[in-house]
Amino acid sequence: MSATSAMSPRRLRTRFESWARPRQPETLPVRIDRRRVYVLPTRFGLFFALLLAAMGLGALNYNNNPALLLVLLLVGAANASLLVAHLQLTGLQIGAIGAEPVPAGSVMSLRVHARAAPGRNRRGLRVRCGDADAVLSLEEGTGQAVLALPTLQRGWLELSRLRISTTRPLGLAVAWAYVWPDAPLLVYPAPEAHGPPLPQGIGDASVARLHPAGDDVHHLRAYRRGDPRRAIAWKPSARRDSLLVREYEQPLGADVLLDWHQLPGIGHEARIRRLARWVDEAERQSRRYRLELPGQPPLGPASGAQHRHACLRALALLPRLEQVDG
Amino acid sequence: MAEAMPAKSLLDPRSRGWVLAAAGACLLPLLLQLPPRLDVGIATAAVAIGGLSWRRPLPGWLRLLLGAALVGAVLATSGFAFGRDTGCALLAAMLAIKPAETFSLRDGRSLLGFALFAPFATFLLDQGPLSLVLGLVATTLALAALLRLSELESGDGRHPLPAWRRYASVWRLIAIGLPLALAAFWLFPRIATPLWGVPERAMARPGLSDRMSPGAWIDLLNDDSTALRVQFFGATPPTSQMYWRGPVLWNFDGRTWTQSDWMRGLPPARVRSRPIAWDYELEVEPTDRRQLVSLDLPTAAPDGIQLSLDYGLYAPKPLSALTRWRMQSAPPRSFEPELKHTLRQLALQLPSGFNPRTLALAQQWRREAGNDDTAIAQRALRMIRSDFAYTLATPLLGRNSVDEFLFDYRAGYCEHFSSAFVVLMRAAGIPARVVTGYVGGYRNPIGGYWQVRRSDAHAWAEVWLAGRGWVRFDPTAAVAPERIYDTLGDRASAGDGLFGALPGLVPMRNAGDWLRRGWNDLVLGFDATRQQRLLQSLGVPEISSGRLVALFILTASLALLWMIWLTARAEREHDVLLRAWHRLGVRYARIGLGRDPHEPAGPWAARVLAARPQSSALTALSARFAEWRYAHHDGGRPPRDLVRDLQSHRP
Repeated sequence: MSATSAMSPRRLRTRFESWARPRQPETLPVRIDRRRVYVLPTRFGLFFALLLAAMGLGALNYNNNPALLLVLLLVGAANASLLVAHLQLTGLQIGAIGAEPVPAGSVMSLRVHARAAPGRNRRGLRVRCGDADAVLSLEEGTGQAVLALPTLQRGWLELSRLRISTTRPLGLAVAWAYVWPDAPLLVYPAPEAHGPPLPQGIGDASVARLHPAGDDVHHLRAYRRGDPRRAIAWKPSARRDSLLVREYEQPLGADVLLDWHQLPGIGHEARIRRLARWVDEAERQSRRYRLELPGQPPLGPASGAQHRHACLRALALLPRLEQVDG
Repeated sequence: MAEAMPAKSLLDPRSRGWVLAAAGACLLPLLLQLPPRLDVGIATAAVAIGGLSWRRPLPGWLRLLLGAALVGAVLATSGFAFGRDTGCALLAAMLAIKPAETFSLRDGRSLLGFALFAPFATFLLDQGPLSLVLGLVATTLALAALLRLSELESGDGRHPLPAWRRYASVWRLIAIGLPLALAAFWLFPRIATPLWGVPERAMARPGLSDRMSPGAWIDLLNDDSTALRVQFFGATPPTSQMYWRGPVLWNFDGRTWTQSDWMRGLPPARVRSRPIAWDYELEVEPTDRRQLVSLDLPTAAPDGIQLSLDYGLYAPKPLSALTRWRMQSAPPRSFEPELKHTLRQLALQLPSGFNPRTLALAQQWRREAGNDDTAIAQRALRMIRSDFAYTLATPLLGRNSVDEFLFDYRAGYCEHFSSAFVVLMRAAGIPARVVTGYVGGYRNPIGGYWQVRRSDAHAWAEVWLAGRGWVRFDPTAAVAPERIYDTLGDRASAGDGLFGALPGLVPMRNAGDWLRRGWNDLVLGFDATRQQRLLQSLGVPEISSGRLVALFILTASLALLWMIWLTARAEREHDVLLRAWHRLGVRYARIGLGRDPHEPAGPWAARVLAARPQSSALTALSARFAEWRYAHHDGGRPPRDLVRDLQSHRP
């Protein structure tokens, strides 16, 4: 018995949510019109209504006109507050949402951009997505809210509906509207924490990298801000009367080959995580790298943010094989 | 408990300040209506609790103790009788304690909700302008505090609105809700007979009552507020004849005069009236007592009012709200010319063992005058006129109060004079009784009506003389007629009251009372009967309740529609031209040729033309639209003919 009664509000809620607009994902920008704004009294609103009902009954019974007028003014103001709550949302336009991809398991900052005609005070709107919520305040017609979304697994993160709500002005009613952006967000695979170093490069060691921690002194150059103090060549500096810095050179293998097929013996997801770490490491060392994945043309060799994104995206979107992986 | 509470639901000090200030403002008008001492006590407790619990909550036992102490004080003050005012005082006490546990958003809101009960309760006790203004201010503050709380809740608490913006928002809300509120006020069907009675006050306010002890009326005689407003239709009596008769007191116990309750049930005595008749309407400010006053003797009781043997008027319920009564009165030619034996005994009764010197004097006068009752009464008046003085500063009287007054102090006010006169008459064997009421009046030059103040309260004597019945004797008038039949000029020169001393304020006072009367007429006196006659001026004599409901629903829906129109209007495009253009697009969308959001005007018109070659008007229109919209021009309003053409074009 208690189980069903506990279920029924939730069931009611799911039923409402399946009925509420929008019923399917929509392309941004979305303008919130009055048909998709819902208003319901809050718990305090119900308490307030009860209070006013008691006062109104008393005033009518005693035919006490000032008291009745007071009650009616409050009723009118409360009623108008529903309207104003509604007006806080209508005309609001959700222009775009966006988030930088992050590795699975870390927090993704989802930015929600909103616009509206200036002139109406729209402050303190609450944007909620799942368990994350943030405050959206429009200044001169534009505003942005940043939601901290948890990410669990690599691949596309399907957004649930964003709920934009407000209890202003009096806290008697909550007005809310849903926005269901058709903009999936990419979550990179989480790189493994520890593991073997980058595989050696293939081909000619054609690229040498200047590195202050290298072995061979390459040449001297003028001091630039930020150079480590121990890299300063004091004697040549004294001769030249200006600071000089030693630069070293470390020979590096040329392109790194990150090949899916050369990692046998570890699981599917573990392979993806290792490759993700290697991509990051190669990027950190400014080395060109090529990623070869099964059933896809090889990516690269190249380096740079764009290449890194292409590689991580390809890794993120590899099919999941949870069952095989165990 | 406190640790489990999320940080955001705690009140920050500023919001807390707002909430407490609003609660204080709500409490203030209520405190002003409570008996003195009690209001000071509750106010002190409220301030102390607010201060003590500012930083951290008071411990539970202390809160409990404070609560019990305040409730105990309230109950003790009211003598453990439960009435309307006791309830209100308890509410005030609760509100005073509540800040001790107001720390979260939820607490703040519930405090504000309960605080709004305070102005409501105030109006149950008093409906004067001060209460109304304070109540309105308190309501504004409470709503502003609610506004502040929901700002806090929305997480925008760090950028609070300036205070004036918040008041402006509150008043905007009230203004938007006003049409609905007024429609409900005038048209929502009123209850003609209450579902439950108005609880009476447990602590009586000073006023005319069924008892009088000489020296007790000082508060009343200094109260300058209006007790009655009278509109005469036709002849107006001179002020020296304006005796507003109230409770008639028969019984004297040596200190206090009281009414005989059993006399209420008896039919009114036989009266032969003089041919003069005064027709008037009384507007009686609430007294919380059942007895009404009337000018001299009413010729008939108004509907629902009981007329007693001694011509007292009794309403079926205590007059706890403003009431109006239309009456006719006439001065009597003879009033109860045959006095029944029991009544005669009652009118001669004196407590034994009191006032020996007065009794001796009366017996001496009786011996000297023989059977001439009139001569004795005139002799008493003469004595009072020559040897006595009027003063409000009277000493406390001892056991033989009349003796002390007549032979020692020889100064006092109406209570002393009437009491002594009646005792003297009774001692001389002449039936006499004390009558209380008001005397005189002040004509408000703006409204043309008469105002009787509570300070016009008066006590005089009625003496039964053979052949004439009860005859009015006013010993006070013999001493100080100017103090009784007052005019405002006398008041100003005598320096009575707060405003009387400043003659420049007289026009303001007149206007103030006139406004108050208008407010009484329009708002306070509105009830089920007046509601039925609401449309009388439009030729509808009486509205049935069914029609009233229909009318209410109609106006309320209009008010709601107005609100919905406000919502819809807020969304609409401000540019007239764009609005007309969008509507045009909607019309074409109905036939499946709507403009896509990305489609410019020209290509869309071309597409429509391709689909419907017969209509070329759209092409020209869209070209004109695009030219105005995108060509270079120096602002200004869009050409009216283009807007009109766009509006009138149909696919």
